[in-house]
Amino acid sequence: MSKKLVVNSSVLIALSRRGTLEQYLKQKTDEGYEVLIPKAIARELLDDPKRLARKIRKMSPTLASKIIQSVDAIDAAIEHELIRVETINYRKYSRVVDNVRRQLSQLEAKPEHAIKKGDPELIVLIIQLYDKFKEKIFVSTEDKGLLRAIKPFSDKVEYEVIEMTPVWRRYHI
Amino acid sequence: MPERTVFILKEVGNPNKARIVAHLAKHKGEAAEDLGKHLGYPLPTVYKYLRELEAARVVKSEIRNRTRLYYPSDFKLEVSPRSLMEIFEEQSIFSLYKTRFGADGMKRLEEVTEKAKAGKMTFRQAASTLGITYYEFVSLMDETGAIQ
Repeated sequence: MSKKLVVNSSVLIALSRRGTLEQYLKQKTDEGYEVLIPKAIARELLDDPKRLARKIRKMSPTLASKIIQSVDAIDAAIEHELIRVETINYRKYSRVVDNVRRQLSQLEAKPEHAIKKGDPELIVLIIQLYDKFKEKIFVSTEDKGLLRAIKPFSDKVEYEVIEMTPVWRRYHI
Repeated sequence: MPERTVFILKEVGNPNKARIVAHLAKHKGEAAEDLGKHLGYPLPTVYKYLRELEAARVVKSEIRNRTRLYYPSDFKLEVSPRSLMEIFEEQSIFSLYKTRFGADGMKRLEEVTEKAKAGKMTFRQAASTLGITYYEFVSLMDETGAIQ
């Protein structure tokens, strides 16, 4: 059975901007990982940048097309199942979602309703996958704040953070 | 800042708005009502133009004695084939952000980025604090080398 790797959008956005997303995902697949993201993250990876590109198209056509290219790379990766989009079972994990929201609101002293969906969904997906497969879940993110927010749940889930290897860091634009 | 040139061009390209800027340059610190009377524009139109001019940072305003007064911002336009070429070549999320939010925005970006890098807030919280999308925030971090 493949190892489950939950990837935050920061990694996917950075790699797609550098044009190395497909290469990275294929390498992960070869290493035996299945790359997963929650639905909320899929939306922020596809819909928000498309809206941004539309907004700036007239004034900054080159930048707009660069954004669209990066979105297309992510879209193609989802289409070719190099990234699998998972749905969160809100009925089963509503308490966990509330706890995550509380954790995150404490982190930045913001009301719980101001917490964006992506962070809670990512943490809940890690827990949901662990509950389902009962094996260590791998997490890839550049976001230290998010990793701090996951820590309180370490008694509920076994996870390991994997960093982007130097070969990927070298592809900085 | 190439995009700023486009914003200014777009605003003062409308002769009615250009007249407002010219009038404010002569009579510094005028209220919207007075502008409407002097230039013969309907008041809702004046407010609409002022809102747009202020958003493009072509005019600025302040409240004095409970009246909002408008002033021209200091700007200089240089339009040449070369400057137009730069507008369409030097583009990044960073330059867009800089144009949109100005010096104050840059200061806030620095503060928020530091917090996010230190793990005191998540990237999503940082984006929402700055009033930009998550994609824009990650791109900014990427362009400035804050994430590798």
